[in-house]
Amino acid sequence: MRKFFYFKLALSNVRRNKLTYLPYLIATAVMSGVFLLISGLLFSKGLTNTPSGDTARMLFAFGLVVYAVFTFFFMLYINNFLIKRRKKEFGLYGILGLDKRHVGRVLVWENTFVFGGGLVIGSLIALVFGRLLFLLLMKLIHSIPGSTFSIPLIAFGLMFALFFVIFLVTSVSNIIRVHTASPIALLSSEKSGEKDKKGLLPLALLGLILLGGAYYFAWTTEIPGIALGLFFPLAIAVIIATYLLFLCGSIVVLRLLRMKKSLYYQPDHFVTISGMFHRMRQNARGLATICILSTMLVVTVSGTLSLYLGSGEMMRSMYPYDAQVYVPETATTQQIVDFDATLNRIAAEHNVTLSADKTKLVRELPEGEEFRRNNFVWEDSEFVEVPTLIFYDEAFRLDIEGKTEDCLAFVQAVRDQFGQSFNENPNLIVADYYTAMEDGYGFYGGLLFLGAFFAVLFLAVAVLILYFKQVSEGYEDKERFEILQKVGMDDHQVKKTINSQVLWVFFLPLGATALHMLFASKLMAWMLKTFMLYDWGLVLTCIAGTLVAFTLLYFGIYRVTARTYYRIVRR
Amino acid sequence: MSLLQVKGLGKVYNTKLGMRQCVALKSVSFEVIEGEFVAIMGASGSGKTTLLNILASLDKPTTGDVLLDGTSFSSIPDRELSEFRRKHLGFVFQDFNLLDTFSIKDNILLPLVLMQMPVREMEERLLPIARQLGITQLLSKYPFEVSGGEKQRAAIARAVITDPRILLADEPTGALDSKASASLLGQLTDLHQIGKTIVMVTHSAMAASYASRVLFISDGALFSQLYRGDDNNRAFFDRIVANLSILGGGDIA
Repeated sequence: MRKFFYFKLALSNVRRNKLTYLPYLIATAVMSGVFLLISGLLFSKGLTNTPSGDTARMLFAFGLVVYAVFTFFFMLYINNFLIKRRKKEFGLYGILGLDKRHVGRVLVWENTFVFGGGLVIGSLIALVFGRLLFLLLMKLIHSIPGSTFSIPLIAFGLMFALFFVIFLVTSVSNIIRVHTASPIALLSSEKSGEKDKKGLLPLALLGLILLGGAYYFAWTTEIPGIALGLFFPLAIAVIIATYLLFLCGSIVVLRLLRMKKSLYYQPDHFVTISGMFHRMRQNARGLATICILSTMLVVTVSGTLSLYLGSGEMMRSMYPYDAQVYVPETATTQQIVDFDATLNRIAAEHNVTLSADKTKLVRELPEGEEFRRNNFVWEDSEFVEVPTLIFYDEAFRLDIEGKTEDCLAFVQAVRDQFGQSFNENPNLIVADYYTAMEDGYGFYGGLLFLGAFFAVLFLAVAVLILYFKQVSEGYEDKERFEILQKVGMDDHQVKKTINSQVLWVFFLPLGATALHMLFASKLMAWMLKTFMLYDWGLVLTCIAGTLVAFTLLYFGIYRVTARTYYRIVRR
Repeated sequence: MSLLQVKGLGKVYNTKLGMRQCVALKSVSFEVIEGEFVAIMGASGSGKTTLLNILASLDKPTTGDVLLDGTSFSSIPDRELSEFRRKHLGFVFQDFNLLDTFSIKDNILLPLVLMQMPVREMEERLLPIARQLGITQLLSKYPFEVSGGEKQRAAIARAVITDPRILLADEPTGALDSKASASLLGQLTDLHQIGKTIVMVTHSAMAASYASRVLFISDGALFSQLYRGDDNNRAFFDRIVANLSILGGGDIA
């Protein structure tokens, strides 16, 4: 009976606090769903089977760990945010005679509902949305044929483990919070402010040094192998530095501005600077997270995009000729001439024209000229002496003119023909650009698909963070807005300072992302060289393009979430 | 010479659906002379907060007008209203309305900063006022670090630092305990004695007994008024309470 009472109270609390609990539920669902999708990709067989799947797996594993850490802190942050808003209610329970122990029990029940519901919804989202997204992206990008989507059990296991830990930590912290505070303190705690913290300067400097060091190494490393090895340490350094600079560096800079009186005591700066203090204290963590997420997004998308768009050139550098047909050392002149004729016949059948330098193919030399063999070429069916030294070719190096399908068909026909008839030479090899291109498109298309998949997941999380930021800021700014007007600031001025603060908060993560990308671009270009992509211009274009597209998208998301903000402020 | 003239103020609110009208004020007229300390008393819902909001130019009357130094509020364009408020009126609110993001000092300086006053002049103005209100030690603290009485003194400092023509106070002791209330009212009396004009809305007879004149409002109309004359606070308090019992409302405390 008693047990049911707490259960019911908790259930009705969740229902009554719909406005605050719904976002919490959605957050749990989205965060767990995204985690499930990433870990699902990491452990899927498809990824293991792809060429250079190990590199991709390493990147994914890194992404998953970073994401798990984010999830942990983000969920803690949301829980904190909600509990702070409800402290008054807990104080009231205490005064009405509900034991702290019991309040704690109600809170644990509430948490159970939210996590239970969130995980179920998250799993459903991951299964349904993941499949839809997969199909959609498959259509957009011609990917590896026969790819399917499924989430292995181990991914579910990991997700439950992670969220169980988060559940325990949030429940314990909520209970401690209720236990340590007196009802009176709880009643009035909603309105406490924040003190100026000490010891921020060393932390800010540490962040600056870390960031500077990471930028320096990223910019100066010029060996592809080292670039790949450096990537993870540098990424971790940049993540830590970003957090330090957003959390501590921003406050230090604002303090410096505040100390400069002639600047601080200007109508616009006065309100903006003090408002920024407040905003950075409240949201630095969220903003830093957005910055990291968007940097990861831009790196992933621009990297995979570069590979996809650059695959033609990469293939070209691996296959400088359209096709090469290797000729065995032992082939006689007659065999080579016959072979040439057959090639031309097949070419004519497939509507393609061939051009090739065949002069250096024949190694049988005129009688008595053995000792000068490197000075003869085969031209118009006879040997001609040339003044320079010749390196003999081992293959027909063909340039093929014609439609891509015809070229592919021609290459296939050559393979079929000589696979059987060149019987003295069973090891005849045809290496060609067109077939490689097809495989390449499949592979790099698959990578681009993974990149796009990641991007969608990151964006979902970014939307969530922005939403919470807007809501929490809205509630606080509403009051400030009214006071400023009462004290004699006109509507126009209030709007101006609020807009400038909002813009700062908007551009800070975006600007930091752009800066990170500027320094990462060179490292990325060097890393991509291990994939045989040597076109820095292309990499830069892809980064810039992705950044622009992301900015537009971010702006769109911001506009939509800002509506929530203005709705709260104006009410 | 009357500083503030209130002429036939009426205020009608439309209820949400516009079906019914709610009359908050009906034809209220009075004058405030320079250097007066006027308290406006009335029960909850008597219209006294509406009246103060109109005096503060935060709200507009349906009929009638308010004149400060002969300038009619209705003649001031909306754009210039904030500036007018900043320059000529000082406010003290029941819930202090200090900004948590500013230190006490910056809260007090806020109106001066909005007026774009040079930093040196601002600090010259700040010190004597802070000393008078006894908050010199608190200047570098933040609102959440000080008590309610101290917050309200900071709010008064913010209201008077622009040297306004008139100080408007809306239930300034409403959120304070009796000791802090008495000390705050003492400070208002001090300001009155150095020549400030103060209009205070209150439902507390205790608070009203510090004023030099008390106006009683009932059901949106002026009901009666009492002059202090030569009474001390105690005697004036008794007369106010006696008058309230006729009015049938208000709190004694």
